[in-house]
Amino acid sequence: MKKSDMRVAIVRMEGTNCEQELQDAFTVLGVDSKFVHIKQLKELTGFHCVVIPGGFSAGDYVRAGAIFASLIKTKIFKELKEFIKEGYPVLGICNGFQILVEMGFLPGKGRGRACLAPNDSGVYECRPTLVRNENRGKCVFTNKLKRKEIRMMPCAHAEGKIILEEPKKMLSQLKADDQIVFRWVDPDGKLAGYPWNPNGSLDNLAGLCNMEGNVLGLMPHPERSFFRWQHVDWVRKGLSAPGGYNVGDGRAIFESVIECISKKF
Amino acid sequence: MSEVTKELFIKRSPDLMELELPTATEQDLARISRELAIGLSVEEMKKVQRYFMKMRRLPTDVEMEAIGQAWSEHCCYKSSKIWLKKYVYPIQLDKIVAREDAGVMEFNKEYYLVAALESHNHPSAIAPYGGAATGIGGILRDVLCMGAQPVALIDPLFFGGLDWDFEKLPKGVKHPRYLFRRVYEGIRDYGNRVGIPTVAGQICFDDCYLGNPIVNVGCVGVVKKEELIHSYAAKPGEIYILAGGKTGRDGIHGVTFASADLDAGSEQVAQSCVQIGDPITKEPLIHAFRECVTKGLVEGSKDLGGGGLSCASSELAWERGYGAEIDMDNVPLKVAGLKPWEIWVSESQERMMLLIKNENVEEVLKIFESWDISATPIGKVIKDPVIRVLYKNEKVLELDLSFLLGEPTLKRPYETANVIREDNSSFDLPDLNEVLLSVVGSLPVASREKVIRQYDHEVRGKTVIKPLQGKLGFPTHGDAAVVKPLINSNNGIALTSDVNPSFTKLDPWRGTLSAVDEVCRNLVAVGAEPCCLADCLNLGDPTKLKTMGDLVQVCKALKKVASVLELPFISGNVSLYNEGLHGSIAPTPLILGIGRVEDITFCTTTDFKEREDLIYLVGETKKEMGGSLYYKLLNVREGKVPNSDPERLKESVDAVLEANHRKLISAIHDASEGGIAAAVSEMAIGGDLGCVLNLEKMKNLRCDIKLFSESNTRWVVEVKPEKAKEFEEIFEGKGIKTTRLGRVSGKRIRIADRKEIINLPIDLIRKEWNNGLKKWME
Repeated sequence: MKKSDMRVAIVRMEGTNCEQELQDAFTVLGVDSKFVHIKQLKELTGFHCVVIPGGFSAGDYVRAGAIFASLIKTKIFKELKEFIKEGYPVLGICNGFQILVEMGFLPGKGRGRACLAPNDSGVYECRPTLVRNENRGKCVFTNKLKRKEIRMMPCAHAEGKIILEEPKKMLSQLKADDQIVFRWVDPDGKLAGYPWNPNGSLDNLAGLCNMEGNVLGLMPHPERSFFRWQHVDWVRKGLSAPGGYNVGDGRAIFESVIECISKKF
Repeated sequence: MSEVTKELFIKRSPDLMELELPTATEQDLARISRELAIGLSVEEMKKVQRYFMKMRRLPTDVEMEAIGQAWSEHCCYKSSKIWLKKYVYPIQLDKIVAREDAGVMEFNKEYYLVAALESHNHPSAIAPYGGAATGIGGILRDVLCMGAQPVALIDPLFFGGLDWDFEKLPKGVKHPRYLFRRVYEGIRDYGNRVGIPTVAGQICFDDCYLGNPIVNVGCVGVVKKEELIHSYAAKPGEIYILAGGKTGRDGIHGVTFASADLDAGSEQVAQSCVQIGDPITKEPLIHAFRECVTKGLVEGSKDLGGGGLSCASSELAWERGYGAEIDMDNVPLKVAGLKPWEIWVSESQERMMLLIKNENVEEVLKIFESWDISATPIGKVIKDPVIRVLYKNEKVLELDLSFLLGEPTLKRPYETANVIREDNSSFDLPDLNEVLLSVVGSLPVASREKVIRQYDHEVRGKTVIKPLQGKLGFPTHGDAAVVKPLINSNNGIALTSDVNPSFTKLDPWRGTLSAVDEVCRNLVAVGAEPCCLADCLNLGDPTKLKTMGDLVQVCKALKKVASVLELPFISGNVSLYNEGLHGSIAPTPLILGIGRVEDITFCTTTDFKEREDLIYLVGETKKEMGGSLYYKLLNVREGKVPNSDPERLKESVDAVLEANHRKLISAIHDASEGGIAAAVSEMAIGGDLGCVLNLEKMKNLRCDIKLFSESNTRWVVEVKPEKAKEFEEIFEGKGIKTTRLGRVSGKRIRIADRKEIINLPIDLIRKEWNNGLKKWME
């Protein structure tokens, strides 16, 4: 499929607030995207990727993502399951990740339950963070990243601590099935504590994919390091980057999924 | 209601009262004003009495309430208007496109910049969480109603000392530690949800704010020129549509409450005055409203803030000399049983008024419906300059707008306070290593990280210069934040705010000049050209001669400096009756500085970049220690407040910008509280690089004064050795002093003045700096 034929659905509701920068990311890469309010989302035909942006859907007063997830469940659950089964990529960033977990798409069927619990610090954390690519090749959102490569993607959340129902067993399953995508690390690339692990997440988990690799949920915001000038230290380091002038660390996520769609469909 | 006044109130229907005004004595008038809680003086009540005698009828309670709101200090600026009109409004007026709910200026060829600044002081004293949150809600609507997309928020905050003894707090006064926490939590929980980044701010502690914190909030946005919406009706026949939240009992009498002193009883009285914010109504309201704007469906708009429906409907119509007819039955209510006067003046949040052409009403309603946001036609613009309100088929209000909005002004008496500008202090030189550690760990200088990290300062992905800068993992304070609002343009908007109450308290004139000096310093430090200012004048009770004198001084000082710098005031706000535990607060003319960056790739930050780079001081250091952090730490109560020479400031601003345009600046930080010692420390913290400095070239001052003087118009600048000559020449050419102090080096800060006076590892400085405020937040 040509890039110009691709269409991305950016699903939003009241309180979604990271949709504009997400759309900008796709637009810059030449891919058409549409904002779709969950109320108006009746079918997914014609879309090749679904993204659930960050924000505070419905205020997150209940539990992060709970209301958005239940709306999706009553409105379009079957269609979304089918969409995923057909291999189309689905991305949830921050609140979107919380929603994917809430719906059970992550870690996925037969995997036990996960939850995104309140940060250990007890407060919202908006800070530059580093993640290491842990995926061995399954995830369709990271094929442009080298193994163990470190990328800066800022976090901004109050509930991002991944906890698992049966930590030991589930962790080894996730590892074995290549479902771990990102871990929080420090500038030396080591698994470190706060603030490099901004929420106290188990085993420094920052992003997970499903068994098939086409659903990714992550707490850090790749759309907030799409451009180099979104990096906190660009004035020190200049705007030239390995990927080209003004290319930020998060851009590879979008490039990866676009490549995947164009190859697969 | 007391027996005496009872006969003054006549029940016309179950929901409506009339007042027996014609026969009322002065005593009765005072009592009516008090019992309706509309805050009008006897003189003003007499004016109302004369009006209704002329009309040959009795006023309704709805009318009395409407007048009370319209004539409140908060709505009509009666004490400050003449001074603002004389000194502040006319400055560089031709640069202002509009000054309505928010101010509008040119941003670039296609876009306007829109900005607004407000106070939310009184609500935040009583209900800090809700008060601070709704402050953001209100300022966003001000920017939004001009048709603009809000792009950044700024929150300057002032509290009493965090170490104030709990035992010494009178009943009803909340501790600064509690207020501080609840205020930033309110900003966090509303701002983060609504999805507009809080990129800048200020947190100041001074005991003059005990019992009366100052919570100001500013917002900037951008709008395509052809999409600018004005806050007035263009033609009779336009339909009023009320959109957003429903109307309830929250926020009744907010403006009259804001126009009086707080006292121990305020707690009970005021609970109903504080509005309740709902960011999850606001967020889609922004989308829906913007959609109507981009489709060209909106003729005029105003947010519902102080004075509620009454203020918004009347002002929209009157601005161009029209009137309005409103049917209150159509106003969606939160609860049944509200009296008509309550509906008319309620300040419930998240509401906006739109003026829509008849043929577009249906489409607008559809857009709001698609966002699940309530929108209801409630009236229309009429030709006659009268406002008429119907409720259950009964006329409950009919007032001439010239009478209602005739801008009562007061020329209150005032007295200019004496200012001491002497320094006869004499004390031995303290251990300067110890002093530097106290300075960086003190509340004015210490790291704000713990607060800043709780605000989402990056949502929308456009914050290119962040409030915390430096090497990854070594955050330090920046001078200003910069957002790049448009995806296809490298133009940026820089934001900063300042006022130092330690200065304004001693010397309102110089304190005001200093505030403008500092915002300009901050803006050029990131590479932005100052383009306008906004002022939020927070002062005490205007019936006090000194408060009024301070207000006049502040306005005069603003005129002096802003005229020279050619900076108009895009927006402003006056908040009076700020009386704390120790009487009037220090005059607090909070200055918001907005700068324009032509190309954000030229922006600079404060962190040291590279070893062996040279370090310069730009500007002159004087023994101006009044209100300085150094003297406060040493308990020296003397000295003159730093002066600012606007001409020199302008020259310096131009020179720094020229150096920026020629890419000669590696790092830059303005010298303010804690002097160059604090500035250098923060630069070292962010770069994780130390320095070696020698102060001998700064002549005729004792070394402690060189380190800690807070003289204005100064920056510490890091320059590459190969660019030193070009850098020096720019400043020499304009007659501005630069002093080469030393170079970036190692991991320690080492400063000598003939002999070594400071030698400290950066890690230790960083530790003190990190803990200074944080320790109060645990």
